[in-house]
Amino acid sequence: MSAIGPAGRASLMAHLVAYYPDRESSFHTALGLVDAGVDFLEIQFPFSDPTADGPAIQEACATALETGFTMAGGFQLVGELAQRTDRPIMLMSYAGPVFARGVARFVSEAAERGVAGLIVPDLPLDPQYNEGLFEAARGAGIEAVPVVVAGAPEERVRLVLEWEARYVYVALRRGTTGDQTTLTPEAVAFLDRIRSAGVYTFAGFGVSSREQVEQLGAHADSVVVGSAFVRTVHARKEYGPAQVRNGVYHLAAELVGGPRGPASRNGRRRRGRSRSGLGRL
Amino acid sequence: MQGQADGPRRAAESDSDKGRRGRQGAAGQGRHDFFGEFGGRYVAEVLRSPLDELEIAFDEAISDSAFQRELDGVLRDYVGRPTPLIAADRISDQIGGARIYVKQEGLAATGAHKVNNAVGQALLARRMGKSRIIAETGAGQHGVAVAAVCARLGLACDVYMGELDMRRQKPNVFWMERYGARVLPVAGGSATLKDAVNEALRDWSASFEDTHYLLGSVLGPSPFPDMVREFQAVIGRETQAQCAERGIEPAALLACVGGGSNAIGFFSPYLENEGTRLIGVEAGGRGTDPGEHAARMRGLGRPGIVHGYKSLFLLDEDGQVLPTHSVSAGLDYPGIGPQLAHLGRTGRVEFRRATDQEALEALDYFARTEGLLFALESAHGAAAAPAVAMEYSNDQAIVLNMSGRGDKDLFIGARELDREGWKRFLKEEYESL
Repeated sequence: MSAIGPAGRASLMAHLVAYYPDRESSFHTALGLVDAGVDFLEIQFPFSDPTADGPAIQEACATALETGFTMAGGFQLVGELAQRTDRPIMLMSYAGPVFARGVARFVSEAAERGVAGLIVPDLPLDPQYNEGLFEAARGAGIEAVPVVVAGAPEERVRLVLEWEARYVYVALRRGTTGDQTTLTPEAVAFLDRIRSAGVYTFAGFGVSSREQVEQLGAHADSVVVGSAFVRTVHARKEYGPAQVRNGVYHLAAELVGGPRGPASRNGRRRRGRSRSGLGRL
Repeated sequence: MQGQADGPRRAAESDSDKGRRGRQGAAGQGRHDFFGEFGGRYVAEVLRSPLDELEIAFDEAISDSAFQRELDGVLRDYVGRPTPLIAADRISDQIGGARIYVKQEGLAATGAHKVNNAVGQALLARRMGKSRIIAETGAGQHGVAVAAVCARLGLACDVYMGELDMRRQKPNVFWMERYGARVLPVAGGSATLKDAVNEALRDWSASFEDTHYLLGSVLGPSPFPDMVREFQAVIGRETQAQCAERGIEPAALLACVGGGSNAIGFFSPYLENEGTRLIGVEAGGRGTDPGEHAARMRGLGRPGIVHGYKSLFLLDEDGQVLPTHSVSAGLDYPGIGPQLAHLGRTGRVEFRRATDQEALEALDYFARTEGLLFALESAHGAAAAPAVAMEYSNDQAIVLNMSGRGDKDLFIGARELDREGWKRFLKEEYESL
């Protein structure tokens, strides 16, 4: 997993909600994303009360629960996907379902199913609040990914660096998923600083165009696109799994810059991106 | 500890210190915001800095005598404190056992104990330089209290309320708007109180620079459970003083428990006083099946993490929050404040349940017999009072907290207690418009 994404350009992590709008469609959504060339899959296990998510993902989680998502079913789905792709799968959920499963059990089931990393935003790295998630993940040979907010105080950054996290998720702004945000010079400086410490950085919130991917990709190792895919699934869910897959495939292909070409093309693209990085994200 | 000085304020400080020390003893180092295994601050990283800021500001304010004077002044002149303690003599004569006293918290401005916390946090928010308040509301009592206090203090106010609750509690929506608040409907999830909390947390995570989230109960991430308890502890301090004036040492205190703010505020000064039993009454609804009640204690709730804190919640086995039911919208919440969950575990607070029917009967009984109109929530506590009284002799006393008055329940009460007359009235009203 040391070389994630084609050399010389940022990779893309695509987010989907397990069982949204139903099990089969979410399975084909994931495969469509992989076929289009995304580098990571971030699969969300829905929770009834997702307070860090905006309207698109909230509604997706509610629908997924109505259409029969269970933790056991979710792990089964992830296991099947892991056998169909070598793209790393990151599993995202909330403290509620993780704690109910038992943190140790949740982590070992994830590891057994071939999950590469865990993202649980309301289990922060602080030892008194993480229920042992980070230690358990490391013990199982996978990574729990801590979140930092761009512009966070030094002590929050130090917590992540001292843990020697392999990955870190940088939330670029306030609010919930799906809101638009602007890549400020301060955020750029923050991203560059985290990256310079040698941590693999995911960055996201509100990314939905190729231009944004390029701008953010100049300062993060991997750009996260979430609500844009969920909205695409929403728009096509009445037309069946094949149409859902096609929709996310085309959006993903556009965001990664067309079907993946040779590394040299990516190299050119990188040179073209060496501007300030300012712009809407 | 401030020593055993006189006066409610000194008592408040020592209560707070006892609370913290007790919790550290139980839970060990670095877990100052846990009550045994419950509590904490399980939030997305973005909410960490506003919660840190709030904790510091609260600690400073609570030990600042100027803030305390300002708070006391508003509680006296606007809220109308102290609220009276009255003997329910006719009921005591009828059922025998311990004499029943009623703390008439529902006589506070806006009709319930909710205003104590609304005043405290709104003054704190203004001191922090916040210009906007957001709040969640279920029944609407917290929303009405916040809207009224914001009007007095000149703060902008947005109240999140589930669409289902807005339909059920139309009069409170109307009054919040009269106080100048915007009531923002929440359609997601079950469209009730828990979803209004979610939406308020989402708003706050984008707006905290100029906005304070005025949470209405002793739950949520720290410091809310401590802060709300301290602002509600005035109920218990007054009760202590009023009992002392009458020479009463209560054998038991009774309060209804939704999130638990009236109960913990009432109980708080008595926690170390083992001679007084503390009894919380949960909403037994229509039965013990999932979705039929809102009782988390006595085996129905599971340990979980929701809304930023760990406590006992009504959850399915995957940790998804279950629907709840109670005739009283204010008890209709799937979780219980972490300190009460802990005190239930240790046995310091006993929990009982009252069904919808029992609460309605208690409402009727206290109204007819004592001229006291309980809110449906508080009527759950009243429903348990006769049985508790009968465990004691008539030289003993128990105190029941009437956390709210019942005017607000006109629509629900009339539908349940006088359906035909109410239908006729509504029809005539409609036709006269």
